[in-house]
Amino acid sequence: MTTPTPSDTPEPKWGMVIDQDLCTGCQACVTACAMENNLSFVGEEDAGYGRGMHWIRVERFWTGVFPTVYTSFQPVLCQQCGHAPCEPVCPVFASVHSESEQINVQVYNRCVGTRYCANNCPYQAREFNWRDYPRPDPLSNQLNPDVTVRRRGVMEKCTFCVQRIRRVEDQAHSENRAVRDGEVQPACAQACPAHAITFGLLEDPDSQVSIKARNSRGTLLLGELGTLPRVTYLKGGATHGSNG
Amino acid sequence: MADTITLLALFQDVDPAADAIERLRKLGLDDGQMNVISGIPVLERVLGRPKRWTNVPRLALGGAGLGILLGLFLVYGTPILFAVHVGGQPLYPVPPGIIIVFEMGMLGLMAASFIGVFLDSYFPAYKPMEYIPAISDGKIAILFTCPQKDQARFVKAMQAEGAESVQPAERRPL
Amino acid sequence: MAVTAKSLLRPRAHTEEEEDPTEHLLLDPRPRGEMNAMVMESMHTTSWKFWIVTMVLALIVAVCLFGAWGYMIANGLGVAGVTKPEYWGIFLVNTVFWIGISHAGTFVSALLRVLKVEFRRPFTRAAELMTTFGLVQAGLSIFMHLGRVWLSYWLFPYPNERGLWPNFHSPLMWDFMAINTYLLASTMYLFMPLIPDLAMARDRSTGWRKVFYRILSLGFRGTEGEWTHLKTAMNIFAFAILPVMFSVHTIVAWDFAMATRPGWSSTVFGPYFVVGALHSGLAAVVVVLFIISTTMKNMKYFIRPEHFDGIGKLMLMITMTWGYFFFNDYIVEWYGGESISRTLQKFLETGPLAWMWITMLVLNFVIPLAVLWNRRWRRTPWVMFGLGILINIGMWFERYIIIPDALTINRMPFTWRVYIPHVEIPLTIGTFALFILLYMLASRLIPLVPVWEVQEGQMAHTLRKFGKAKVATKAEIE
Repeated sequence: MTTPTPSDTPEPKWGMVIDQDLCTGCQACVTACAMENNLSFVGEEDAGYGRGMHWIRVERFWTGVFPTVYTSFQPVLCQQCGHAPCEPVCPVFASVHSESEQINVQVYNRCVGTRYCANNCPYQAREFNWRDYPRPDPLSNQLNPDVTVRRRGVMEKCTFCVQRIRRVEDQAHSENRAVRDGEVQPACAQACPAHAITFGLLEDPDSQVSIKARNSRGTLLLGELGTLPRVTYLKGGATHGSNG
Repeated sequence: MADTITLLALFQDVDPAADAIERLRKLGLDDGQMNVISGIPVLERVLGRPKRWTNVPRLALGGAGLGILLGLFLVYGTPILFAVHVGGQPLYPVPPGIIIVFEMGMLGLMAASFIGVFLDSYFPAYKPMEYIPAISDGKIAILFTCPQKDQARFVKAMQAEGAESVQPAERRPL
Repeated sequence: MAVTAKSLLRPRAHTEEEEDPTEHLLLDPRPRGEMNAMVMESMHTTSWKFWIVTMVLALIVAVCLFGAWGYMIANGLGVAGVTKPEYWGIFLVNTVFWIGISHAGTFVSALLRVLKVEFRRPFTRAAELMTTFGLVQAGLSIFMHLGRVWLSYWLFPYPNERGLWPNFHSPLMWDFMAINTYLLASTMYLFMPLIPDLAMARDRSTGWRKVFYRILSLGFRGTEGEWTHLKTAMNIFAFAILPVMFSVHTIVAWDFAMATRPGWSSTVFGPYFVVGALHSGLAAVVVVLFIISTTMKNMKYFIRPEHFDGIGKLMLMITMTWGYFFFNDYIVEWYGGESISRTLQKFLETGPLAWMWITMLVLNFVIPLAVLWNRRWRRTPWVMFGLGILINIGMWFERYIIIPDALTINRMPFTWRVYIPHVEIPLTIGTFALFILLYMLASRLIPLVPVWEVQEGQMAHTLRKFGKAKVATKAEIE
């Protein structure tokens, strides 16, 4: 099942497939994302109150009764919706649609912090900078120079590692070639030891991500809302002989 | 005209005031030489006065028009200047347009009425003017201009109609 | 043999009809000069208790409002209780609450003026002051809510070097436009009928007060032209501000209705919020009128049981309308079948804040219905005052349930979490203190009763003999 595209919406470009049957819940993707995108460390108290900076989070679900309990893991990140509910509601155009990359971009400098976008995201994929979190030396040496840092009062979320997309596209353009399949690897896809995350060009029907997205196990998270997410989840469950 | 004088006759109630105005008309004054100053608004026909012209409604409509144009610019002009695509919604949306055009139209209507009051009444008027404070205690004053030589006759006529006081109208700072 | 009809409910009904006509303000005229003096006296008579209360309120405002807000601006919204998934918390509750309060002023002043309801005459200004000061609190509350409030001017459409304009697809921009329109309109609508009273105050003041009133009254004398222009503009305003009033709270409701959250995406929210605003607003008018009539000198002449009675009847209608809209919203979600809506409803009714949900229904619907049908209770000011306070508490709870409580439940159960407010509490107390403080200070400077309108009404009302009875008659002299 591929991402449905009504005629008045541009075709998707970048997309992701997450195989929940392969996901072990190790959270390497969460860690890698935090390193790559300069996410703040909010501390134990704030994290316990739901303010952790998780551009991707691994949701863990228990099913069944002890002793036959199964866990399933669901990594949730910004779905880069084609009809993003977070976009029309920002009064200052800080959450806008990138026509060229077909993802949703958050403009940090423009955000005034009304947090309407976060309320409207059905995936609760957006994070807000509730405070300025300190990064005492030598932690500041760990910052990725390709990504800006955000101060308090600003909304942020997964960008499909747009800095990596840009670097690869620039490289390909200067070498006068197209971007190769698998050349762009967001931090989460790169770090996953189970290879559960695949990323690539959905507009290329022969790319890995397009082939996997057409898999019979494919579903869209909250797809019935019409948000046109660019992330496809492969979930077979009991019918496909996985661990639940 | 150098040989006229402005008098101010103070009345307690509408009935004697209305009779006084009719008397003044009989004595040869026309409506333009009279003015009524009162502590509450009195309908013109109660006192036998001609209906008063006001520009406020026309200014209000003009303001509403300007407001509607402003609303149209904000919703449909700004995306022409800087197009930003959001959430699969059309670039020139209709329902938000209705909302903003309505609000700006109403704002224009009301702001123009308000400013119209200032313009028509020549507010703020901080120069000395013909007035006595007793008027804000609910009295009705008739301000009229008559030939100086007939002053005594007019004064007597007003007193006969029941004026509390008839005096030359002085310009005093309010 | 003729049968005399006897009422079961009110056996002494026919004797109640033989009330003293001078019980009605408009049938109990006093000379205008005397009424002017009464109003001026009530402005000037200030006891030391008044100043103590004012200083306490000013202290609360300094610490709880500006102090706490400064602390929050410096440290970020982390010191508040908002988090995922309740990105909107008590700040929005307060914003909606204060805008609701502000609607009553316009309702009372504009709608009752358009419909020529005479009992409005003495309290239109007190209600309009509530509107202006309520909107100030709403504005402060929404600014408090912003993450980067120092950049809030970006919501204003102005040409800039980046060529950027705000996003008019956003309900928050409609809010910005509508609330600013309403603020400007209601301030102008407060000021226009105030001009003749400021002129009266100018004529009766000396010293710095005289300078103050002289400047503000703009040289108004009361000539035919001035009255004509003023009355024309006031008529235009009365008609025009009503749709604006309805649109403002509808647009505030659309902040929620346009969202994809369960429990928020309801088509009935527009009118539901407008009725809720009138509910809390009219209750607040009654509270303010009680305080004015009991604490300010001479106000018992102007504010009488008949006014509480009249507002009480309106409140009864609004209570029933509120219940109607609440039930509309409730039954559609209950019946609908979308499991997330049912989960949310179950959470609201049986979750940790179930007590608030029940209390809301009791305070907003049960108690007003039980009290307001009774004519004697409606005419008892302290009963109406208590009811007004209770309704306002109930309506604050209603907004709390709609905003932070309902936000707890969304379509991603992993994120569910209960909201615990922190710095919102002193900030809320601060806005209430500021409202009361502004009102108290205004009562020293602004004549709270529009005396010219009261005199106009008194001149229009007479008693005439109609058969064997003396009936009140109103002349159409407006």
